[in-house]
Amino acid sequence: MSSPREAQTLDGWGPRIEVDRTRCEGHGLCARTAPELLHLDQIGELVINGRELGGEALDKARAAVRACPVAALRLSEA
Amino acid sequence: MANSPAVSNIDLFADEILVDPYPTYKALRDTAAVVHLPANDVYALTRYSAIRGALGDSSTFSSVKAIGFNPAVNEALQGTSLASDPPAHTPLRATLAANLTPRKLRSIEEQINGKAEALVRKLAASGSFEAIDELARAFPLEIVADLIGFTGQVKANMLRWGQAAMEVIGPMNPRTSESFPIAGELYGWCNQVTANDLAEGSVGRGIFDAQARGEIPAGSAGHIIHQYLGGGIDTTIASIGNIVALFGRHPDQFERVRKDPSLVRAAFNEVLRYYAPIHAWGRRVSRTVEIDGATVPEGAHIAILFGAGNRDERHYENPDVFDVTRDPTDHLSFGYGPHGCAGQGLARLEGHAVIAALAKHVRSFKIANAEKKPSNITQCIDKLQVCDVVAA
Repeated sequence: MSSPREAQTLDGWGPRIEVDRTRCEGHGLCARTAPELLHLDQIGELVINGRELGGEALDKARAAVRACPVAALRLSEA
Repeated sequence: MANSPAVSNIDLFADEILVDPYPTYKALRDTAAVVHLPANDVYALTRYSAIRGALGDSSTFSSVKAIGFNPAVNEALQGTSLASDPPAHTPLRATLAANLTPRKLRSIEEQINGKAEALVRKLAASGSFEAIDELARAFPLEIVADLIGFTGQVKANMLRWGQAAMEVIGPMNPRTSESFPIAGELYGWCNQVTANDLAEGSVGRGIFDAQARGEIPAGSAGHIIHQYLGGGIDTTIASIGNIVALFGRHPDQFERVRKDPSLVRAAFNEVLRYYAPIHAWGRRVSRTVEIDGATVPEGAHIAILFGAGNRDERHYENPDVFDVTRDPTDHLSFGYGPHGCAGQGLARLEGHAVIAALAKHVRSFKIANAEKKPSNITQCIDKLQVCDVVAA
């Protein structure tokens, strides 16, 4: 994926994990819950891996959103 | 047509309830998700989903003039992140949490682990010790003092200041009125503290540097130090005391963690779920709201009972069983949402460090009965004798 906009176009119709950067504090509980979907980079900043969220991955995504202790994540179904 | 909430005549802050709130939590939870308590002029939230829902909805469940259970404390807390709602809350919270995020704490993680190991190894070698003074208090006091850069007399005052800052959140009972002057000492000190009072290179000094550079508003550095001290000590002491008490009562669970140190995180989550460090915390409803079929009127004061939600059988299977393999990441003891505990990253580092050190350096131990005095907000064991320690 070369740019965020492009990523948005590619899976624009599927559900996506969205992060509110003003709220994310890098506690990393989401990344522990669904390491295949999100991770903390070297400086501890949250990165959402661009992946289609179908079937099992969608359940994992819901669990990751639930695990955020500061409600910084949401699942956009749009 | 919605109904009036169920009513209970209990006093949430009565001595006999505060020393063991769990039977009361169960009775309230069995009654309804929201129970009106006229004795305290509050509506108590008792079930997991109602509590988590309220914590996640700060526009309906406001924190303004609502956190505490007496008007004086709510007045004193005005303008802090604790007692604000978004959007005013957002920059205050960001400043408060900036130095406590896991990425900022990475640099001191090793140091925290090293201190826990040294302390636990020493205590284990002694064969018996008093777990509250010598471990649950000693460890976080040292960590927070180093972090903020406290020295000398201030360090000696941290425990009583931290205890009083929580106690005054309660209703205006004798415990609260006795604690107000002590909480006032802390408040007064925070209002006049300067960068030079704090150790060079400390996080506390860094907050003053940020203030000097204009990154945070003038005067806010003292408020942040105040919240670190008020929020970061008593609660952490409670959770570390609870680690020792629960492992002491459930040697099989301690053995599991000893055999499999990858359970350290899960075990700390379970300790926090099983015994919530905070009894009750306030909110105020900004509009008339329906909670599980009962109507709560606009302006009503809400008491969130974290410990009641953590034992809700509607959410956790066998909630009264202490099980280190459960890993309840979604426990309510740090709250949840915009006001979720700002120091939870540090609390986790401390809790994990203590559990890992116990698992590494202690083979087995016994405990005497835990002594607990009534306390308005923090649910903390006051004395816990550990004996027959076999070092590993």
